[in-house]
Amino acid sequence: MPRGSKPRQVFQVARSFRKLPLTTKDINKGFYKGTGTGSMGRHTKFGGYVIDWQKVRTYVVPPSLDSFKLSPFVTRKVEPTRGEYSGFAKGPKSPEMYLERWKEQNGLD
Amino acid sequence: MAASAPIRSSIGRVLQPATRCSASTSSLNLPLRASLSCPPNTSSFSTSAPLGERRPTRDNNRLRGLSSIYRSGTKGRMAVDGFPTPRPADYKPKLTTDPNHGLWDFFYAKDKALPTPEEDSQHGRAWTVEELRHKSWEDLHALWWVCVKERNRIATATRERQRLKLVVGEDESKTRNYEIWKTMKAIKHTLTERYYAWEDARELAEKDPEIDLSGEGNPYTPRDYLEEEMEQLGHDSKAAAQPGEEKFMEEKSAAESVDPSSLLKTEQTQSSPRV
Repeated sequence: MPRGSKPRQVFQVARSFRKLPLTTKDINKGFYKGTGTGSMGRHTKFGGYVIDWQKVRTYVVPPSLDSFKLSPFVTRKVEPTRGEYSGFAKGPKSPEMYLERWKEQNGLD
Repeated sequence: MAASAPIRSSIGRVLQPATRCSASTSSLNLPLRASLSCPPNTSSFSTSAPLGERRPTRDNNRLRGLSSIYRSGTKGRMAVDGFPTPRPADYKPKLTTDPNHGLWDFFYAKDKALPTPEEDSQHGRAWTVEELRHKSWEDLHALWWVCVKERNRIATATRERQRLKLVVGEDESKTRNYEIWKTMKAIKHTLTERYYAWEDARELAEKDPEIDLSGEGNPYTPRDYLEEEMEQLGHDSKAAAQPGEEKFMEEKSAAESVDPSSLLKTEQTQSSPRV
């Protein structure tokens, strides 16, 4: 397709459109936008709302967070290391390595 | 034509005393005499019409002409006129704040709303997945919340920068936030990978003769130990595992249940060399 022809312009418009958030006009019915928060219960047929405590978010913060020493950053003086997974086919995901470590270090439960 | 009448009258007012005194003084003193003889609060020259000749109000608005902006005051006379206006009392309530309140964690310091760009850019690189593979569940859990708190602080600073319309320091803040985001992504990666490995390892353990997933007895009996027992007693492997089980049960009664979650958790706890 030569440059500056119409289909290319259409494609550019489509690309910029794709970056915009979806609205109900852009998509077929049944589209629920929401706020990304999820539900905390269900609506009743009388217009009320019943909170389902199984759905309500619970944030578990570790108790000893104040004495925790690690930070979100690692000093740049430490080079990122490569792991040694030579004996295992799936690398760090291999179940054999997992079992081996379990037997070595715990082996109880 | 309308302006000519007041001008004429004021000229007449100016000239009146002068004509009265003209007999005793020379004509050179005339302007000085005229200014002295005028009343103190009235200007010698005014283009505005006298009050009595004003037009009546155009509507029935009783508040016309009243303004708090140029402090016109009330229209009519009031009983309180002449009395000093009361002033509001100099009262400021004393607020007590908790110095150890949890909301202080949203700031880097109590006396500082914003970190400088230099402070913001003082950070290292993000954790890599390989580094986090050697961490325990507890460490990863705590590190996640450390990241969350740091990002909260950055969000507070960003909001404050928006409020003050500051552009300086935006890039440094974004870079810092992105680095923490990468750490959090690595934590999720590590945990997902660990979970999948655990799922596969559990399948593998069902075929392993050393591991007993029935939930009764010792889940793990090393092969060397089995062989020793077999040599001593001459029994089959199942019978040989019994005395070993009793010893283990005395040591740790928690080994009874093979709960998947606890298996995952304790395995990670035990295998945590601190980097």
